[in-house]
Amino acid sequence: MTTTISKLLPKRTPDSNGTKRSRIFNKHWVAGQLFRHSMLVVMLFVIVFFLWRSARFGTADNMQTILVAAAPFALIALGQTLVILTGGIDLSVGSIIAMSGMTAALVAKANPDQVWLAVIAALIVGLAAGAINGFLVSVLQVPPFIATLGMLTAGSGVAFALGNGAPINGLPTEFGKIANTQVLGLPIPVIIMIIGIVVMAVIMKRTSYGLRVYAVGGNPMAALIAGVKTQRILFSVYAISGILAGLSGVLLASRVISGPPTLGEGYELDAIAAVVIGGASLLGGRGTVWGTALGLLLIQTLNNGLDILTVPAYWQSIIKGILIVAAVTVDVWSAKRRT
Amino acid sequence: MAEHNPDVALSCRGITKSFGSSPVLKSISLDLELGTVTALSGENGAGKSTLMKIISGQVRPDSGEITVRGHQLPFGNPRAAHKLGVAIVPQELASIQDMAVYENIFVGREIRKKSGLLDRRAMIAEAHTLLQSFDVDIAPQTLMRKLPVGLKQIVEIVKNSSTGARVLLLDEPTSAISDREVAGLYKVVRHLRDQGVAMVYTTHKMEEIQAIADRVVVLRDGNLVMDQPLASISDDDIVTAMIGRELETLFPPTPTRPADPGEPLLQLDDVLVDGAGGPVSLAVGRGEIVGLAGLVGAGRTELLEAVFGTRKIHSGHLHVNGKQMKKHHPVAAIQAGIALIPEDRKHSGAVLSMSILDNGSLPRLSNYTVAGWLNRGKQNAEVSAAMKSVNLKSRGLSQPVETLSGGNQQKVVLARWLTDKVDVLLLDEPTRGVDVGARSEIYRIIVDLAASGMAVLMASSDMQEILGLSHRAIVMREGQIVGTLDRDSLTKETAQEEIFKYASGLGSTPAPLSHTEGVA
Repeated sequence: MTTTISKLLPKRTPDSNGTKRSRIFNKHWVAGQLFRHSMLVVMLFVIVFFLWRSARFGTADNMQTILVAAAPFALIALGQTLVILTGGIDLSVGSIIAMSGMTAALVAKANPDQVWLAVIAALIVGLAAGAINGFLVSVLQVPPFIATLGMLTAGSGVAFALGNGAPINGLPTEFGKIANTQVLGLPIPVIIMIIGIVVMAVIMKRTSYGLRVYAVGGNPMAALIAGVKTQRILFSVYAISGILAGLSGVLLASRVISGPPTLGEGYELDAIAAVVIGGASLLGGRGTVWGTALGLLLIQTLNNGLDILTVPAYWQSIIKGILIVAAVTVDVWSAKRRT
Repeated sequence: MAEHNPDVALSCRGITKSFGSSPVLKSISLDLELGTVTALSGENGAGKSTLMKIISGQVRPDSGEITVRGHQLPFGNPRAAHKLGVAIVPQELASIQDMAVYENIFVGREIRKKSGLLDRRAMIAEAHTLLQSFDVDIAPQTLMRKLPVGLKQIVEIVKNSSTGARVLLLDEPTSAISDREVAGLYKVVRHLRDQGVAMVYTTHKMEEIQAIADRVVVLRDGNLVMDQPLASISDDDIVTAMIGRELETLFPPTPTRPADPGEPLLQLDDVLVDGAGGPVSLAVGRGEIVGLAGLVGAGRTELLEAVFGTRKIHSGHLHVNGKQMKKHHPVAAIQAGIALIPEDRKHSGAVLSMSILDNGSLPRLSNYTVAGWLNRGKQNAEVSAAMKSVNLKSRGLSQPVETLSGGNQQKVVLARWLTDKVDVLLLDEPTRGVDVGARSEIYRIIVDLAASGMAVLMASSDMQEILGLSHRAIVMREGQIVGTLDRDSLTKETAQEEIFKYASGLGSTPAPLSHTEGVA
C-alpha cells in the first residue's frame, strides 16, 4: 500500500546535499500523511457519493440532523481521545451515560422547578464514575480494559436500579428544553459539541496539560523522568471522560424527555471507532482532537447517508465494521513504517 | 572447507557482520571442541552476543561459514541450528512462566499416548530422571514462575541438553543470579562437559573464567584478540586482551577544577538503595566529573535512579547543594537542580513520538506556562537556544525525535535540561548507541558543562570514557563502592587493570585507596 501511494506521487529528483529540502512537499511526508489519513480520504469520497445519489443529503436541514445526532457522541469521543492518547481505553462511557441520564431524570422529576440541579447531579455522577476508573487504573494499576469493563457492567446495573428496572417518565417540560432549544439558530447540543471540540483542541495543543498527556502516552517512563506526575495525568483523563459522558447523558435524556435505563447502550464502541478512524493510535501518544472530530462526523455522515438511501441497518453495521478494522490496519502499518 | 576434526563440535570461519555502517564482527574464526568449556569474553559491545546469535541461527552474518561436525549450518535459521544440536540459553530467559517445569522441558515435543492425548505421567517421570541426572532437586510439577532465576536457567539448560544439544551456548548466564546459584550452575556445566558437550560461556567476570573455563576466547571491537587454553595465560593477559591499549583522541582535555570548589553539590551519606548489597557514601563537587565504573549489574544505574528519585532509598541522607532531599520523586529532584540522562534512551529518555520542541520543554514545562497556558514564544526561544548550545542537527524544532539519529536524540535528551540551572548532572551510559562522531561532541558537551560549574556523576561501561573524562573514578560492585581512583591513578598505565580488578572482585591485592569513603 505504501508503494502504491508513492507511485501516485510525482517523481522527485533525489536531493543532492546542497539543495534545501522543502519541508511541506517532501515526498515521504505527503505519502506518510496520505497513508496515515487514508481512511479520511476514503470517507470523503463517501460523502461525495451521497451528495451525488441523494438530493436530500446536502440540505441544511439534513446537515443539522447529522450534527444533532453527532453531539452526544462527540462529547464521549473527546474524553475517549484523551484516554486513548495515554494508551488506555474507556469502555464504560455508555453505562455512565445511562447512570447520569437516569440520575438527571430522577432529580428533575423530584425538583421540576430547578432543572439545573438535574444537570449538576448528572455531572457529579459522571465525574464520580470516571474518578473510580481513574483510581483503578492509575493507583491500583488495573489494566484500563478491565477496570472500565467492570464499570460498564456495573454501571448498567446501577442505571436499571435507579429506575427500579423501568424507564423514568413524566418529566417536567423544562427538562426537555435543555436539548431541544435553539440558540443562534443552532440546537444547544450542537453548540456544546462545537465548544467542546474547540476547547479540547486548544487544551491539547496549547496547555502544559495537553503536552503531558501526550508525553505519558508516548513514553510513560520518559515522562516520569522528565518530572511529569504520570499517575495524576492518568487519573485525570478518566475523570474527564466520565464527566463528559455525564454531560452527554443529560443531553440524551433531555432530548427524549425521559430516563430509559438503556440510554447510551453501545455508544462506547462508536466513540472508540471515531477516535481510531481519526488516526489515533491505541498504543498511545498519537492522535488529535481534530482527527477525532472528523472521524466522528464521518461516521455520523455515513449513518445518515445510508439511512437516506434506505440501506438496511445490518448492512450499515457491516460497512462500519470493515471501516474500523481498515483504519486500525492502516495505523498498525504506518507504525511499522516509522520504525 | 576445512577437514573435519572429530574433536571439533562446531567451527566458524571468517564470520563477518555489520549493523548499518558499523562493523560488529570482523572475520572471526573459532573452533569449539567437544567436552570443553570455552569462555567468550570481552567488554560490552565487543560482539559477543552477536556471535552467539549467529551461531544459534538467530542472526544472519554478512559472510563466513559455520560447520557442525562436518555439516554446513544454514544461516539465519534457528530450527536448523537446533536440529544440528546447537542450542542457546539466552540472557533473557524464554521460559513459560505459568507452566510447570516438566511442561517447559517438553513443550514442542510432548510425549503423547496412543490416543493422541498428553501423557503427563510419562513426561513427569522423564523430567524427574533428567533433573536427577543433573543432581538438581526440583519437583517437575513446580510452576516455573515459583523458581528463582538460577533454577529457571538450569531448567532451560537441562531442557536444551535433553533435546540432544552437542553445542550449548550460555549467554551471560550469571548476569541475573546470586552467588549461591552460580555454584549450582557450575555443577551443571561441568556435568555436561563430562558428557562431551561443547559449551560456550559468555562472561567478563574473571572469577567465572577461572572457575569454569578450559579455554578463553576474547573479542575486542569485533576482532578475535585471544584464543588460548586457560592454563597457559594469566589474568593480566586476559584483561589486557579485553581492554586493549588504544588510546583515542576522542576526549577533550579534562577541565581543571575550580581552585575552591566549595561544598560538594551532591552528597550521599550511607544511602542504602533498594536492591543494593550495602550503603553508599560519596560526594561530587562543583566542576567535578566522577565516573562510576563497574560491570553490568554492579548497581550503577540503580544508584543514579535513587539519586533522581525513581528508585527507593531505604536509609541514609541525600544532600543537593547543601540541602537535604526530603521527597524522593523526580519532580523534587528536578526542582533541586538534578538532571538525569537515562541509560535507555528509547525506553526512558525521550518521548520519540513527540517533537524536539515538546521533548525539550517537558522537564521544565512550568517555566513556559502561565496558569497552565503554554507561552509558545518563550518555549520556542529557550528550547531553541538549548538545542543550539549542543549543536543539534535537525530540520527544525517541530521534527519528531524518532526521526533523529541516535547521537542527535541523545543531544535532545541532554539539552532539554539546559533551559534552566542544573547543579547535578547524572549521566547513565551517555554514549550508548551513539556513533563515534557524535560521541566526541557529547564528550565535549559534558566537559563544558562540568567546567561551567555542574557536578557530574557518570556511569559508564566504556572504560575509556571513564579514564578519559573523569576527575575521579568510583568502582562499584553489588551495589557498593569497592574502589576509588583519583586523577593521578587514572592516568597511570595500570588504571584500567585496577578498575577491572575491583569490578570483577579480583581485588585480592588491594591497592591503596585514595579515598576510602563508602567502602563498606
